[in-house]
Amino acid sequence: MTEGLPVPSAGLAGISSLTMDPECSQLLPALCAVLADPRQPMADDTCLEKLLDWFKTITEAGSSLLLLQENPCLVELLCHMLKPQDLSSRVLSFSLRLTGVLAAQEDCFQYLQQGELLPKLFGEAGPLGGAAWTSPAVRSGWIQGLRSLAQHPSALHFLAHCGAVDTIFSLQEDSSLFVASAAGQLLVHILGLSMQGPAGGPPSLQAGDWPACAQKIVGHIEESLRATATPQITQALNVLTTTFGHYHDPWTQVLWVQLSPLVAGLLEKDPVPAAHSLVDLLLSVARSPGLSSSSCGLWETLAQTLSHLSPTQAGPLALGILKLQDCPQALRAQAFAVLLQPLACVLKAMAQDPGSSGVPDGTVGDSMTAGTPLPSKAACVGLLCRSLAHLELLLPLPQRPCPWPQAPLLGAAVTLLQLCGGSARPACDMGRHLCTLLLGCVRVQRAALDFLGALSDGTGPRELVTQVFAVLLEYLRSPDSSPTVLKKAFQATFRWLLSSPKTPGCWDLDPHALLFLRDLLPVLQKRLCSPCWEVRDSSLEFLTQMARHWGGQAGFRHALLASEVPKLTEQLLRDPESYVRASAVTAMGQLSSQGLCFPPAGPEHHGGQQKSLLVELLHILSTDSEGFPRRAVMQVFTQWLRDSHADVAGDTEQFVAGVLQVASQDLDWEVRAQGLELALVFLEQTLGQPRSHCPHAVTPPVEAPVGPLAQALQPLCRVRLFDFAFRALFDCDRPVAQKSCDLLLFLRAKTASSSGLQESRSSPDVASVEAALQRWQAGDQAQPLGDLEPEVVLAVLRSLDLEGLRGALAESSDHVEKSPQSLLQDMLATVGVLGENEADCY
Amino acid sequence: MPEIRVTPLGAGQDVGRSCILVSIAGKNVMLDCGMHMGFNDDRRFPDFSYITRNGRLTDFLDCVIISHFHLDHCGALPYFSEMVGYDGPIYMTHPTQAICPILLEDYRKIAVDKKGEANFFTSQMIKDCMKKVVAVHLHQTVQVDDELEIKAYYAGHVLGAAMFQIKVGSESVVYTGDYNMTPDRHLGAAWIDKCRPNLLITESTYATTIRDSKRCRERDFLKKVHEAVEHGGKVLIPVFALGRAQELCILLETFWERMNLKAPIYFSTGLTEKANHYYKLFITWTNQKIRKTFVQRNMFEFKHIKAFDRAFADNPGPMVVFATPGMLHAGQSLQIFRKWAGNEKNMVIMPGYCVQGTVGHKILSGQRKLEMEGRQVLEVKMQVEYMSFSAHADAKGIMQLVGQAEPESVLLVHGEAKKMEFLKQKIEQEFRVNCYMPANGETVTLPTSPSIPVGISLGLLKREMAQGLLPDAKKPRLLHGTLIMKDSALKELGLAEHQLRFTCRVHLHDPRKEQETAMRVYSHLKSVLKDHCVQHLPDGSVTVESILIQAAAHSEDPGTKVLLVSWTYQDEELGSYLTSLLKKGLPQAPS
Repeated sequence: MTEGLPVPSAGLAGISSLTMDPECSQLLPALCAVLADPRQPMADDTCLEKLLDWFKTITEAGSSLLLLQENPCLVELLCHMLKPQDLSSRVLSFSLRLTGVLAAQEDCFQYLQQGELLPKLFGEAGPLGGAAWTSPAVRSGWIQGLRSLAQHPSALHFLAHCGAVDTIFSLQEDSSLFVASAAGQLLVHILGLSMQGPAGGPPSLQAGDWPACAQKIVGHIEESLRATATPQITQALNVLTTTFGHYHDPWTQVLWVQLSPLVAGLLEKDPVPAAHSLVDLLLSVARSPGLSSSSCGLWETLAQTLSHLSPTQAGPLALGILKLQDCPQALRAQAFAVLLQPLACVLKAMAQDPGSSGVPDGTVGDSMTAGTPLPSKAACVGLLCRSLAHLELLLPLPQRPCPWPQAPLLGAAVTLLQLCGGSARPACDMGRHLCTLLLGCVRVQRAALDFLGALSDGTGPRELVTQVFAVLLEYLRSPDSSPTVLKKAFQATFRWLLSSPKTPGCWDLDPHALLFLRDLLPVLQKRLCSPCWEVRDSSLEFLTQMARHWGGQAGFRHALLASEVPKLTEQLLRDPESYVRASAVTAMGQLSSQGLCFPPAGPEHHGGQQKSLLVELLHILSTDSEGFPRRAVMQVFTQWLRDSHADVAGDTEQFVAGVLQVASQDLDWEVRAQGLELALVFLEQTLGQPRSHCPHAVTPPVEAPVGPLAQALQPLCRVRLFDFAFRALFDCDRPVAQKSCDLLLFLRAKTASSSGLQESRSSPDVASVEAALQRWQAGDQAQPLGDLEPEVVLAVLRSLDLEGLRGALAESSDHVEKSPQSLLQDMLATVGVLGENEADCY
Repeated sequence: MPEIRVTPLGAGQDVGRSCILVSIAGKNVMLDCGMHMGFNDDRRFPDFSYITRNGRLTDFLDCVIISHFHLDHCGALPYFSEMVGYDGPIYMTHPTQAICPILLEDYRKIAVDKKGEANFFTSQMIKDCMKKVVAVHLHQTVQVDDELEIKAYYAGHVLGAAMFQIKVGSESVVYTGDYNMTPDRHLGAAWIDKCRPNLLITESTYATTIRDSKRCRERDFLKKVHEAVEHGGKVLIPVFALGRAQELCILLETFWERMNLKAPIYFSTGLTEKANHYYKLFITWTNQKIRKTFVQRNMFEFKHIKAFDRAFADNPGPMVVFATPGMLHAGQSLQIFRKWAGNEKNMVIMPGYCVQGTVGHKILSGQRKLEMEGRQVLEVKMQVEYMSFSAHADAKGIMQLVGQAEPESVLLVHGEAKKMEFLKQKIEQEFRVNCYMPANGETVTLPTSPSIPVGISLGLLKREMAQGLLPDAKKPRLLHGTLIMKDSALKELGLAEHQLRFTCRVHLHDPRKEQETAMRVYSHLKSVLKDHCVQHLPDGSVTVESILIQAAAHSEDPGTKVLLVSWTYQDEELGSYLTSLLKKGLPQAPS
């Protein structure tokens, strides 16, 4: 079947092909035969993708030529694609891609070339000229095949002579987005490859002396840039953007010098065609380290583009310019003005004294004011949201403009929120018009709240900060605030509270923030009772954050305890929505840790109530039908144990024993895994070593346990930690087994160096435990271990192959099913049963 | 011209993962955001980079609509909203909003459990994503913004599945998602009114199939379970947490009750309670029979189905166990399978499709010796049965829906190319409409009739009303009046403004050549009209502002030249002035 193909040189035989195991080699001929048979459809389209992945791995690691030599069925399959027949487009596409992957190595390329296989597959005689070409999958396979193949000068020569480049030009206009985009990428790759020059020598810096292939591509780009049709211009710009993004050699500068007049010429058209792609290109050029921007007139082009584009189109360009490391100050100022323009307009429209907005006013075309009456609502909203988002992205960057107009921007964000919320009082017609456009606009509310939150990193005049808190409170209070807006309002509020000025040496909230808190808590109370679960949940998340930060501070404590918030939070432990119950558990855990659960009362009352929370959380852990609340309880308990929470510290063993018993029975593997986390904390506390940074790193302990080992292990035995850990070792859910394995390895390493305990290597107890463990491993976990003595535990620990187990568990649980051999078996097994179990879905 | 553009990023000539972009009257909507279960890397998600290249998704997309809770329709949602960064609204029905996070969470747990799953979303991301959801009721018109509105219709298929109508002005698109035109044991049939959309985007999974009655498959299923249990075998039914599991539970529960069977039925993950809760909550979404009998007996309160404990798998005697996940690729279902596989009395029933790379796929393709970890081989002696309970419209159902909605065009998604081709021809023949079937990444563009709102005075409206019957949206009526068109209408229609130019001929006695006459005209006007821009163009003509003057020879009198003067109505005054000036003749040229 290998028509015209000589047998690969035997001289290569000594080189390892690092190919495939014998099982796969045996299966491959049958699979190739199936693929070549048009009567055998492939049901699962992922199989061919995975098969190609596998071939890529093989060829990356070894010789493709050897692969073909050892598996002649592959060449047969490729030859089969040349026969006129009703081939599946997916198999044909796969074959084209496979050919490319193989021919990426030059010797293999030469081998396939000798058999004329490459021109037949990729030239006019191949699928290109046939009916199969109507399938986008085949066109895509053709491009991807060439993309893989184009790695060496021989390939370049082949591409130039088989007319592929012209086909790629035409594929840039393909009806499929994927094909068109891939064609553009391939052109860039070919251009880059041909510019690498023969034998690694640098290419000439005269464009006229460039290789023919490169000249052809550049000529095509020039022609496209001169075209009147926008799609053609877009393609050319996209190809250039990728080129300047990927290649930074001196030739790129020559290319830009040659093409920049044509690019600049686009700005003379009205409207500017392919503005989005033009922006991408100019930024790509500006970022390119291979280009010296000043010498190429790039700054001028950028400035010109900024002023020619509409504000919406110019925004991304302005942001890109401001992100550049070195850029003329005037251009930066122009770009910043573009970003600020929409907000300046808002401030101007709302100012009592027009002309005093405070935001540096731009000199660029101003569609929001100059084009009065204002543009449509959609345009206005779009422009404002983009402007806010761009400024938010700019804010944290070190190269953001300086001075940063913090106060006017704060003012603008507040004004926008007031306009959307209906509390703005416009003084002029323009303001009133803005009011009608923006009233109740959720999109602007979301963007403005995000921006306002981001602005909290800076300072602001006291008066403005007061306005910020006022508008946030207005949003938190408003019945019209949607759940998403409320969530963002909570987030922004928290950020502003965090940034409120602090007295040196004191982490408490400042008096103004405390005053705000007094207004905020009743709102929070109301929101905790919202009929909307999203609102209740966001409120609880906000409360948890606040308690975590200011739970220890007198002012905060006093305000919170005087409110109904803790009581309402406690009630939400029984919320019908599991997400809310989980958040309530976390919030209550946090409040309780800081003694914030209940109003100040006598110590006896206090203690009693605290107990009831522990009982309540245990109840949730044992009975809640959903995983989130149970997982949250485990997190709280683990934290309590770490922090030696008062209730836990009273009788830690009883607490741990109770929790582990419930957690080990849980159907949710994440709860069981968290049970092991809690067990690990207890183990560390019991054995007396401070927790290392990485608990699972098995290193010999630095210090020996405080007391004799047996004594130290007794509490672990009493809380039945080993029963849980040994059972978890054979858990059907891999992360649980892994965690248990790590815990036991940690314990074994800790006990290895300590003396004073004779392990009972051959006692009947050990034998029975080992037998039980074997049964568990086999899947029969019905039988409990009973009470274990430290000596038995140690003996069992030594006898277990924990390292081996850890190695096995490190693999994914479906690694066998995902192996190449399994893939080949599956593909072969599917043959013939397809008719019965046709491609199905949910 | 206004147009509707549709680009599938997924579900274009495949059934992998649905994700379809629709542009309608300048609004961009994403229909479904599905995940492909057959991949373990980023290929499982649609390639969203094609939506905006480098731009922000939130700026580009006006909303995302999810048709139902299956992962091939919503599985990429947390990735899209929390990792790719879409921050806008997501619409789905109330049951979908309730059930979607459960399935996403279930899948996340399996993915993490299996290991080797990088770049996957977390529980918190699922929650944050669900907080962006706006839930809608059936037949409720929801305003996404001032112009874009959506409306949900009942789709059958699974609890909460909906078809969506997307409307901007008078243009509309209907997207069916997955639907079923015949009622099943717990759900009703899909229904839509005669909404005559410009485009109907319909699924076409069973484009060429006329499916046998679901009753037959149900009978077959019950017979097989019954036989296995009667012979003392154990039956494993791997399922996903919600959906088909509940349908099969109702089936078994009713059968057990009727036949008075004693073998226990277990559900592995405690999800029955949750399912009960949602099915009770959304009882209005189920079929008529369930709703009617709800008062006497809630179908979702199962007497015979109990929660499963891991230790039960070793109990002697027959039993039926529903266990997750549905493709036997991890967790409990796989563990039970391994335990029971060696006994030929036992049976595993796969009620749905399994992707390659799972044990479910292996046994469905007939493999009976499975390699397990550590090179162990598991011999599968138990009986393996496959029963597709998926509820999609068949060819007849799809035609029925097209007939119901009366669209102007149809676009097929969620099916195989060959089958689609057949259905496409059938639709085009029967309904005389265009039918499209784009592959992933291909864009279909449909021109639509422009719709320009026209303001009308109340007086005129009342007068016309008084002359006839009440207005009827479906019957055009003739109105008499003068239509005044403004600039914006021209823009919306994509028309260029009609240019009106005045023309005039001025005869000049001048024996010189035309070019010289034109030059003399230029010099004369240049000296007279100092404040205006007078130009002599390379083609010999002279312009003054918008006024164009060309010199031509007289056909009969070689000593006379004709000046052709034309001007726009905006420059009418200047045009008249120039004509009168030229009529006076040119100053004598210096000899």
